[in-house]
Amino acid sequence: MSTPAQEFLRNAAIKSADLAHRRTIRTGIDHYEAAVGRTGSRFNDWEAARQRIHEIKWEAVNHLDRYLLEFETRLKARGGHVYWAETAEDARRYIADLAARNNVRTVVKSKSMVTEEIDLTHTLEEKGVTVFETDLGEMIVQLRKEPPYHLMTPAMHLTRAEIADLFREKLGGVESDDPQHLVSVARRALRKAFFSAEMGISGANFLVADSGMMALTTNEGNGRLGSSLPRIHVAVAGIEKVIPRMEDLAVIWPTLARSAVGQPIACYNTLIGGPRGPNETDGPEEFHLVLLDNGRSELLADPEQREVLHCIRCGACLNVCPVFRKIGGHSYGTVYGGPIGSVLMPHLGGLNKFQHLSYASSLCGACTDACPAKIDLHHHLLQNRRNAVRSADRPASERLAFKLWRWTMMGSERFAFFAGVARGLLRAAYGLGLARTPLDPMRSWTKVHAAPAIPAKSFRALWKEQRGAS
Amino acid sequence: MEQAENPGRERILERVRNALRETAPKHAPPASSGPIFAPVANPFDRFQKECAQNLTECVVTSDMGASAAAVGEVLASIPAGEIFVQEAPELRRMVPLWQGGRSIRWSSEGGPIEASQATITLAEALVAQTGSVFVSSGCGGRGASVAAPVHIVVAAADQLVPDLDAAFARLRERGAQEKNSMLCLITGSSRTADIEKILVMGAHGPRRLVVVLALRAVPSRD
Repeated sequence: MSTPAQEFLRNAAIKSADLAHRRTIRTGIDHYEAAVGRTGSRFNDWEAARQRIHEIKWEAVNHLDRYLLEFETRLKARGGHVYWAETAEDARRYIADLAARNNVRTVVKSKSMVTEEIDLTHTLEEKGVTVFETDLGEMIVQLRKEPPYHLMTPAMHLTRAEIADLFREKLGGVESDDPQHLVSVARRALRKAFFSAEMGISGANFLVADSGMMALTTNEGNGRLGSSLPRIHVAVAGIEKVIPRMEDLAVIWPTLARSAVGQPIACYNTLIGGPRGPNETDGPEEFHLVLLDNGRSELLADPEQREVLHCIRCGACLNVCPVFRKIGGHSYGTVYGGPIGSVLMPHLGGLNKFQHLSYASSLCGACTDACPAKIDLHHHLLQNRRNAVRSADRPASERLAFKLWRWTMMGSERFAFFAGVARGLLRAAYGLGLARTPLDPMRSWTKVHAAPAIPAKSFRALWKEQRGAS
Repeated sequence: MEQAENPGRERILERVRNALRETAPKHAPPASSGPIFAPVANPFDRFQKECAQNLTECVVTSDMGASAAAVGEVLASIPAGEIFVQEAPELRRMVPLWQGGRSIRWSSEGGPIEASQATITLAEALVAQTGSVFVSSGCGGRGASVAAPVHIVVAAADQLVPDLDAAFARLRERGAQEKNSMLCLITGSSRTADIEKILVMGAHGPRRLVVVLALRAVPSRD
């Protein structure tokens, strides 16, 4: 069996050579960039907005115990249940038991990355529950039996023609591949489910400590329907999702919308606090909030990388990443893809298993510049590399090679000598016509690049000659 | 239902407390910074401009009587069938002016049904900055504003606030977050950009959002 690192390299190589895939991603990102460009003018000072998000999340994450307890107390006072889940398994069991106790047969689910993280849908399906993904993008990838491709746009890798074919096969009633028509096909297909499901499941974008309400942002209105119509609403949220005050949303909501899809603000920004109130006419009878740790408290214990928990899951870092744009979302083989996924996965899934993702970066820093929470993403990748070398299993040969390299680099004469030897050998090899053959010593570079001409003289020699001449 | 046993709670809190013994560094603010959003100079104009951009239909009327007539015009354009209406005295008063032959389901009789053709509700506030409507579960319930294909909001100019900060201040002042199990800032009608990131209107929620905004004759609240 191949390791995650080998699979990643293989998938990345295949996807980056898939030009049709690259065109589809390019189209999606062009639309995104145009929309962000239009929305940018809504902000008088974007840098001030990023600083505010950083400060809100810094305050919450660095006093996490206090804000979580405040949130819990207030939500319970509203009649909501709060369950603290240490692991994915713990969260799955709680929700599956809840569904079984209430004879739930149908679930309508809103888009939620954390439910992907705990692989909730499969667990429920194994127990005989039918789960409808109701976000259009999620519904599409569910019909294809695929994981979401992107944090924000799960079906970004598909063209309208591919989606039309999928709907024709699975849903019927498809007359054209016009996106407007395809959306109405999906709406029809899910309408009955919304009105008959016994349970709605969602994530939560934020947990507002001072009011005991969770915030849920959607454009389609599916989150509103799923949290209003079924008898039970279950929301799953990482413990880092808490924010101190309701008023913080006045900056957070427009910022999230801009970074996520380039809108001034999303269509439905909803605050939900518990089941239907005593004087209310509709809404769920039970509301359960599952607070998930699943490795987050360990990341919290690392002050250097703690701010990774500030992430608001907008997906902006994916859209700007030159690596994501070439290899696409599925190549990572992880729940969270792109730069934030490469930073986060070693913490959630183990440094040894996911350390290779720290190298899935050109370190260009576009992700850091794009992050609305000012997370220093590319430096966290470097820290993960360092931590991997320190703690994970690296071959002794690698350690020895770097010791020798260091020794060489630390002495000017030594460096000149070994560089001269290497240049001479390479010139000889290329003189024999070995460039770009399996015997090329630079094989791993020249496999995908033209072989450079090897100069006869070193830079030092040229420098001496020309300075001497002047 | 009794809360299930939750031994993980104390363990998570313990880990969180231990993790936070050392404080994390904070990013320095930018050298100079202005307000995040430019102040809204003319809320009424801004609201209409934003509505035009986010595809909310905004109908401005002189008073609530004229608003009732405007609601009638909107209803005339949609298919026959039941209308779901928030139980509120000001909306009860308007009924004779628009009902025609339609049957009405009042929110006091239960939640919205799948076949509702339109929903008529009041709002907690209107927000000029984003051209949005703030509703609560008090506005006809939790599902009312998303269940039908058309959502008509009957509002008055004194409910209009300049920006989101002012909107939260108003909600706070009225204790809306305590009185309601749901609050929602609605901006435009339901949409999705999940196919090739192209914006399409009318996903699962309403295809049309209509705000009927009366300049005078404040609806009496509560």
